[in-house]
This record gives sequence, C-alpha cells and structure tokens, in this order.
Amino acid sequence: MTTLLEFRENIKRLYSKYEAVLIPAAKFIFALIVLGTLNSRLGYMAMIDKAALLVAVSALCSFLPMGALLGFAALFSLGHMYALTMEAAALGACLYLIIFILFLRFSAKESIVIMITPLLCAWKIPYAVPIVMGLVGGPASAVSVGCGVIIHYFFDTVITNSATIGSMGDEEAIAKLRLLIDGFLGNKGMIVMVMAFAITVLVVYIIRRLSIEHSWTIAMVSGAIIDMIILFIGDMMYDTNISLVGALLGAIVAILVGKILELFRFCVDYSRTEKVQFEDDEYYYYVKAVPKMTLSEPEKTVKKINSQSRTSETVRRNAANYSGRSVVTERTGYGNGRRANLSDQAGSRSVTINSSVTEDDEDDYEDLF
Amino acid sequence: MLNEERIRLMTRMASYEQNEGKRNTNIGNYFRGDYILIQVIKSVISATIAFGIVFALYVFYNFESFMADIYKMDLMEFAGRVFKYYGYTVVIYGVLSYIGFSYRYAKTKNSLKTYYKNLKKLNSLYGNQAKK
Repeated sequence: MTTLLEFRENIKRLYSKYEAVLIPAAKFIFALIVLGTLNSRLGYMAMIDKAALLVAVSALCSFLPMGALLGFAALFSLGHMYALTMEAAALGACLYLIIFILFLRFSAKESIVIMITPLLCAWKIPYAVPIVMGLVGGPASAVSVGCGVIIHYFFDTVITNSATIGSMGDEEAIAKLRLLIDGFLGNKGMIVMVMAFAITVLVVYIIRRLSIEHSWTIAMVSGAIIDMIILFIGDMMYDTNISLVGALLGAIVAILVGKILELFRFCVDYSRTEKVQFEDDEYYYYVKAVPKMTLSEPEKTVKKINSQSRTSETVRRNAANYSGRSVVTERTGYGNGRRANLSDQAGSRSVTINSSVTEDDEDDYEDLF
Repeated sequence: MLNEERIRLMTRMASYEQNEGKRNTNIGNYFRGDYILIQVIKSVISATIAFGIVFALYVFYNFESFMADIYKMDLMEFAGRVFKYYGYTVVIYGVLSYIGFSYRYAKTKNSLKTYYKNLKKLNSLYGNQAKK
C-alpha cells in the first residue's frame, strides 16, 4: 500500500508541477482520439477526413473548454452523415438538438461523458463508464451516459445501413429516413444498454454514498454485477447479441479502473475509524470520522560540510585554533598540507575527525566553516 | 506577518469563487420560487421544441399515409391526440425539471451559506489581527 501511496503522491506532484502543460496536452490527445475515431468510423466526407485538419482542430480544442470539442465532434459527425445522405444528417441534427435542449440542461458539465461513452462503445469496452460515473458523478450522470449510448447506436445504425442508403436515389428521401428511424428505434440492444447503464450509475452512486465501510468497493462490485444481470436478462428477452463474455471481462476491467480511481479520490483507512458523540444547545452529534490514507513527504536535510569558497588552508587554521573535536576538510591533490586518510585519487575530498574529545566539548563543528 | 489559517481560508474561497461560485451566486440572487419558475418555463419551451422536432419527424416518417388519408381522417380528433401527447410531454418534463431544479437550488443555497460563513470567519480573522 505504501508503494501505491508513494506512486499517487508522485503523480500528484508531477501533475501540480506541469499542470499548465499536461491539461492542454491531454485535451489535444483526447480531441485527436475522438475526432480520429469519428473519421475512421464514419469517414464519408473526404474533405474533413484529413490528418492536417484533425491536428489543427485538436490543437484548437486543447485551449478551449471541453464543450468546444463536443461541438466539433457533432459538426464532424454531421458532416460525414451529410456526405452519405442529407436525411441522415437531418436526423442526426434532430437527435443532437433534443439531447442538447432536454438533457444537457441538467448535466452540462458532463459533455466529456457524452464523447467518452460512444468512443468506448466503439472499442467494445464501455462497461467502466457507468461505474466510474457512479463513483465520481451524481444521479444526473445516468442521463449523460444514456445519451452517449444513444449516440453510439445512432452511428451504428448509419454505418450498418450506409451501403443500402448509398444505393438509394435522391427521390427516396422518405424511404431513407424510415430505414434509419426503424433501424435506430428498433434496436433493442440500445434500450437494454441504456437501461443497464443508467441503473448501474444510480446503484453505484447510492451505495457509495452509504455510511458503510468499504462503500466504494461494494458500490463498484454491486454496479458491475447489476450491469451484468441486466445485460443478461436483456439478452434473454430481446436477443440483443451483446457479448456476455465481453461484458464479464469489461466488468472486471471496470472494477480495476474503479479501484485506481478510489486510490486517487477516496483512499481511507477504516482501521483508524473514530466514532465520537457530543452535543450543543440544539443537536446531538454522532460523528464517524474516517482518516484519509496519506503519506507525508520525506524531509530532505542537506548538510553542507564543505564549501568551495573556503581554502583548505583557512580550514586547517581554524581547526588548529579549536581545542576539541575537530573536523578537517581538505581538497586533496593540490600538494599542500598534511594529508590524513588520503586517497590517491587527485581531486577527491577527505574528512578527518580527531577523536581526542574532552568532556566539555561541544558538537558544533559546523562553526569551522 | 502571514496568517496561515487566513491564507488557507482565502485560497479555498477564491477557488470556490472561480469555479462553482459564479453559477451559485447567480442562482442565489433569485428567490426560490422565482428561480424554479424561470427554469420550469425554460423547460416547457425546451419540451415544446423537442416535441415539435419529434412530431415533424413523425409526420415525415408517415408522409405517404398522411397524404393518402388527409381528406378521410378526422383532423380535430388527430389534433386532440397530438395535444394530449404534447401535454404529457410538457407535464412530465416540467415535473422532472421542478424536482431537479428544486434540488439544485437547495444545494446551491447550502454551499453559499458555507461560503458566507467562511467570509464572516475571514472578517473576524482580520478583526483579531487589527486588535493585536
């Protein structure tokens, strides 16, 4: 545990030292990943599927708030869908607008979740998201996670039907729209996933707020189990084709991610829990205080025992005047002065301490320098 | 001379002012009823726009059958059904907004109360220093 705490402190120190550089760099990399994944998944518009544009937009996003990246991601996806068919872009714009005006009013700060969820869904590892959001977010995070899943399934519908839509003519606008809406709303996997993730967020949030020991660990394990159960039931009821082995592995990874998060956000020592009880004029207080696990920074004491500015001659003179324990420091290799414990190596230093100490000697050899 | 307690308090307060404090002060300027009313009105407008979008998509989706049945269907009955669904949407979303924004207002008030308490404490720390 000490090693982990040391590691945590080192990371914190590193972060606080290079915060000004690390945050824009992280934003740049995140923007690059989000927009790059969008380009690689959708990629219908060649004009915006260019590395130079990607780097330029990511660089811009690294200095702007996270909401700007969400805006660029929406524009990129709409651009790609527009290149495929205008109906897909129109449907996408309607979906974004509804999400924006209905749901983001409650959790505007969680725009990052709306981008991370489809990203991890595309990489088939989204199971950590509801658990992490339950641990660090609030009940409104269920909405953000749900919106992220909906966006992922919308992209999925567009990609799945892209070949069919591409073969249809411009006059079949209504048929294209119907194809997309049917594919999107008829996707039972999406409904199961949204339900599972929203319930997981709420369960993890409720349990981690309980006044019980190891609430964070219990919350993340319960969340992973509930997520699995809902996905399993959903798969049985609607034949959703969600990989249960993948979900199981995802749940294990989610718990590991949760434990790492716990190390940084809620590292407490339950063995030193104190329960105190007191009262004032109005209330009785029953307080349970759980100390945080911290590692005090090791104090480094640097004691200077030699100074380059003083000559060895001065030091020896001082030592001769001092009638007690003496410390003689000299720079060897210059050929002057008596050498004691000399090393043959030119330029090395040696320290000689005479042990002829009288009783009233003081331990103040620093005075010599 | 530097007062460590005062510096710590001021740092915490400055951090609060820079982050959530801004939004919370805006919310705190309203009376509870006014704040919730404004938010619920915004929610009703949002719900109306969202319902309009969904309705437009519904009409577009069923465009052919609409065109075929437009002269046969009872338009008043259809409009009544649409308004019923619109009412459900607005009421459900309005109630959820009411609950959500009431909770947010209460939380904000608590956090502002702590902030003002810290402000008083800071003031008293300055007072103590002046006496010395």
